[in-house]
Amino acid sequence: MALQIIESCVNCYACEPLCPSKAIFMSSKAGHFRINPNKCTECEGDYQDTQCASICPIEGAILDANGIAVNPPGSLTGIPPERMAEVMAELQAH
Amino acid sequence: MELPVLNETPAASAGGCSSHSCGSSDDQLGHLSDEIRAKVENHPCYSEDAHHYFARMHVAVAPACNIQCHYCNRKYDCSNESRPGVVSELLTPEQAVKKTMAVAANIPQMTVLGIAGPGDPLANPERTFETFRRLSQDAPDIKLCVSTNGLALPESVEELSKHNIDHVTITINCVDPEIGAQIYPWIFWENKRIKGVKGAKILIEQQQKGLEMLTARGILVKVNSVMIPGVNDKHLAEVSKIVKAKGAFLHNVMPLIAEAEHGTFYGVMGQRGPTQDELMDLQDACSGDMNMMRHCRQCRADAVGLLGEDRGDEFTMDKIEAMEIDYQSAMEKRKVIHEAIAEEMHSKRAAKVEKAASHADEPKLNTRPVLMAIATSGQGVINQHFGHAKEFLIYEASPDGVRFMSHRKTDLYCSGDDTCGDGESVLQRTIRALEGCEVVLCSKIGYEPWDMLEQAGIQPNGEHAMEPIEDAVMAVYKEMAAAGKLDEVSADKRATA
Repeated sequence: MALQIIESCVNCYACEPLCPSKAIFMSSKAGHFRINPNKCTECEGDYQDTQCASICPIEGAILDANGIAVNPPGSLTGIPPERMAEVMAELQAH
Repeated sequence: MELPVLNETPAASAGGCSSHSCGSSDDQLGHLSDEIRAKVENHPCYSEDAHHYFARMHVAVAPACNIQCHYCNRKYDCSNESRPGVVSELLTPEQAVKKTMAVAANIPQMTVLGIAGPGDPLANPERTFETFRRLSQDAPDIKLCVSTNGLALPESVEELSKHNIDHVTITINCVDPEIGAQIYPWIFWENKRIKGVKGAKILIEQQQKGLEMLTARGILVKVNSVMIPGVNDKHLAEVSKIVKAKGAFLHNVMPLIAEAEHGTFYGVMGQRGPTQDELMDLQDACSGDMNMMRHCRQCRADAVGLLGEDRGDEFTMDKIEAMEIDYQSAMEKRKVIHEAIAEEMHSKRAAKVEKAASHADEPKLNTRPVLMAIATSGQGVINQHFGHAKEFLIYEASPDGVRFMSHRKTDLYCSGDDTCGDGESVLQRTIRALEGCEVVLCSKIGYEPWDMLEQAGIQPNGEHAMEPIEDAVMAVYKEMAAAGKLDEVSADKRATA
């Protein structure tokens, strides 16, 4: 039972001080914050919501134990994923 | 004591500009103590006058944020752009102190150090306050500022007041949670992500409480608002009224910046920013109750130098590491330079008042107002080649006098036009940015832009090079009136215009 931060992390530091298990660390090897799976408790016993995933501004950067994004595309920004895809395609066409 | 701030107008127009509230009348500033007035005088962001002479810098020590705004994208790091939230290099508090002292020694006009993100400074209290603690000890001649979304403000006021922080900017875009929900998709509050109206309501409550706590302690508060057409544009005059009643000293209504390539909600969803006219109208609508800031450049969270210029490239961490700084001697040098600048500002101001008094005897014109664009690199004079201007200052001339209205960037926030432009030439973009202006005053101008400006209905003028801006604008206005280029309007109509 552990969450995971992946490479789309933008190193905003918001999650690190919130972690009740001190499981979050800056990985110089990866170049972004990571979660020590041996320490992560998914905040159980401390908070109702997982703290890192509740402040993270980047959709898809935090995965649950099953590898599924806790904040899927569109959930934080409110931008519908299909609209984002459309706009990105348009920008790349220029 | 006369307060030298904010779009000060000559005495001759006193009473004539009540519909615009274009200056800092004694009444508007009556609630400020002499101590607070003194805090404003050399602050480039608080004083329109000072920003031509004094510089500021931001240190990017605060990457975390506790809310999401629809005009912000936390992934953003384009080096071509100058707008809030964009940074090239994140600093530790120790690096930030070193950088501040290096900049202060090399740019002695630098008076103010601000922390403005890229996230929210008060969502990074350890990093922010560590920086302030060290600086107030090691560089006591630098004013400290902080800019916040306000969510964590009430709990930070006590600590802020300990560090001799003269100024706080709160971004307040609304006082209505329903409108707030259209701007802030979520906040992080008491260990939960709270979405929608509920989150916006908490944010608004904390902002208002923080504002009241700060003004109660005599800390100067500026309120920033982002004008979002169709969302809060009709609402901001109300915001202005409320924050003024609570003691905010200055209101800065800024245009929304939203382009698809920024990847923000507003950019991707096609929300437009306000036109220059809409922005100016709203600033005028707010100014009946409030001192308005019109010279904001919406700078980066790591900006360095005078407003409108960025010298950040000279002070990257690797360059700073190589610098030897003797701050004690730098501080002595800074003191001498600051005093000389203050003296120059005071004498220019006195000359302006005197000149205005002599104009008061002249017969008053009865003509419509005209917008003019000025190419200047500072010091209040027309001293820039048209083609070199990256921004223009916009002034309005009318029978009541000359007033500063705004600045307009020619590169529209992005200089990387090969990759993200829309194929318009720089000149075409510049002309578009000058829409609504009838005259451009510059030190020199080439034939090609001259022709294109004339075709666009804007008269170029290089005859007033090196002259003080206000004098030149009034001189050109009078020439236009004498040449019959300005329709006469009745005084009633002008008052309601």
